[in-house]
Amino acid sequence: MCGATPPADRRLRSCAVLPSLLVVVSILVVVFGGYVTAGALSESAGPPVAVGDVVRVPPLSGWEVARRFAGPLLGVRLTRGVGNLDVFAASFGGDATDLAHRYVSGSLEPNAVRLSVSPSTAAVRLRSGLEGVQLHYVGSFGGGQAPVEGEVTALVTASGTGVVFDAWAPQGLLQYVVDDTRTMIQDTVVS
Amino acid sequence: MAVPTSPQGSVDVRPHRGRRIPLLRFDQPAFWFYAAIVVVTGWYAISRQNVFHHISPSGWVLSWALLIIYALPVFLAVYFLDLYEREPMSLVIASLVWGAVAATTLAGLADQGWGLVVARLGGPEFASRWTAALTAPWAEETLKVAGVVLICLIGPSRVDDMMDGFVFGAMCGLGFAVVEDVFYFIGVFGGTTSGVFEGFYVRVVSSGLYGHVMYTGLAGMGVAYFFARRGDTSLRRRVGVGVGLFVIAVAGHFLWNSPWLDLFPAATHGVGDWLLIPVAAAIKGLPLVAFVVVAVWLGRRRERRWLKAALSSEVDLPGISATELGILVDPAARKRSVRHMRTRAGDRAARLLKRLQREQVNLAMIRTRSPSDDDPDLVRQRKQCKSIRDALMAMPAAAPAGRPGGAISG
Repeated sequence: MCGATPPADRRLRSCAVLPSLLVVVSILVVVFGGYVTAGALSESAGPPVAVGDVVRVPPLSGWEVARRFAGPLLGVRLTRGVGNLDVFAASFGGDATDLAHRYVSGSLEPNAVRLSVSPSTAAVRLRSGLEGVQLHYVGSFGGGQAPVEGEVTALVTASGTGVVFDAWAPQGLLQYVVDDTRTMIQDTVVS
Repeated sequence: MAVPTSPQGSVDVRPHRGRRIPLLRFDQPAFWFYAAIVVVTGWYAISRQNVFHHISPSGWVLSWALLIIYALPVFLAVYFLDLYEREPMSLVIASLVWGAVAATTLAGLADQGWGLVVARLGGPEFASRWTAALTAPWAEETLKVAGVVLICLIGPSRVDDMMDGFVFGAMCGLGFAVVEDVFYFIGVFGGTTSGVFEGFYVRVVSSGLYGHVMYTGLAGMGVAYFFARRGDTSLRRRVGVGVGLFVIAVAGHFLWNSPWLDLFPAATHGVGDWLLIPVAAAIKGLPLVAFVVVAVWLGRRRERRWLKAALSSEVDLPGISATELGILVDPAARKRSVRHMRTRAGDRAARLLKRLQREQVNLAMIRTRSPSDDDPDLVRQRKQCKSIRDALMAMPAAAPAGRPGGAISG
């Protein structure tokens, strides 16, 4: 309780500061608490998922392997609800930008009814230090299906292994999974 | 204090401002916290407006023009809602600025952060339906009401009734709504001329009554109750009422953002869809509006009771007569008395009567704060009222013959 007993000045001043300080602390908790909580919830669950012998993707809780792709292009699809992360690995001779465009022209365009791709790529850097590029697309794949939006991340290792990550979801829903997919991509180990 | 009165009956009576607490209270820590947060977030808010202006210069100007047309009457309506004691303009503007600058900026960050949590816990389908309802209501209301609390801490003696909190809260909500609408007009409705008008129709014409002004006005009443009832109500009850009104505001916001009772058309294909929008908005928003109207009505009734109680011991002292008090506590009678005065004795007399009534309200405030009957401020205010009344009575036709004190009855 704020009293007037000596040293009154100091006590009154602390009485005046305390409520304001509580307000500021509440503001900080509301503004930054979500990021802290989301970070705490974004723990890897289960062992890393391997793509061939070179790529290991640590799935976050809630994500599970839905499909494996065989053939010349090895790959895996991780799914959480309507959110998906396709990961492909293969030998590749060019750079990351070439790989990203090659993925668009070789995998997305042949299956798309309509496709819009971002005109330029953005640089990304994985936690391991590997550098790559990122582009975005919106398109319709197959009759009657809802439009899909996706974020493609491509990188090529010094040893010539190309890795493509395609995070996609029905249009409007990617924003709710993209934080997860970016975290998994960041933590992916490419040997 | 002698008040000079001219032979023509004009009087140089300055409003008593000694008790007014302006925003610039450098001795209050709350002021510095308020200022620091507004300055830091202001930087970001201005840069965001620059982005909107860059995206669509004409859309941005049109957005602000339309929103000012909407905001100005709302501002005046809220400001004049407090019949007896208008809040200092500096604190009212401070509330508006907090809502427009600090709360919107902080809410943008908070909504995004807690949206990640909802997506993490519920998955994308759930998040797409429920993020807006599970994040924005409590986060935005907390951030807006935090500003109201800071403003109450800056000027605690200005908060003596729930209506004060409604005014501060509603102003904060108004600032928030305007800046959020600009974001929607440019970012969601496209920023084209037709897009801005469409956004204005959906968010202001159809739904403007139900949004942030109501939520934060209600939450502000709770804050004011907590501050104003110190000393005469238990802490438990003050916290209970404050938290209760905040929760109701959050619940109203939650219902608005949730998929429940959602009759809004997915797309507008004809006149029917356009007409459905205000109906859908009313279904979601009217229950809270009804609650707020009742709360404001109760607040004003309580304010009237407070005025009567505060001035009852002053009746027939120099400051106020029984007749004057009877008129003062009845807003309709007050307006009528001024109107009659204008008809009988002209504009100057009517203005002087309004001044007298305002000073009598100030007398009530000083009365409640004065420790004794002969407190110097109280004595000074009584003389102030008397001198205005004397000046009024000296004006031709202002005081009907044979009716002492009849001047203010009009």
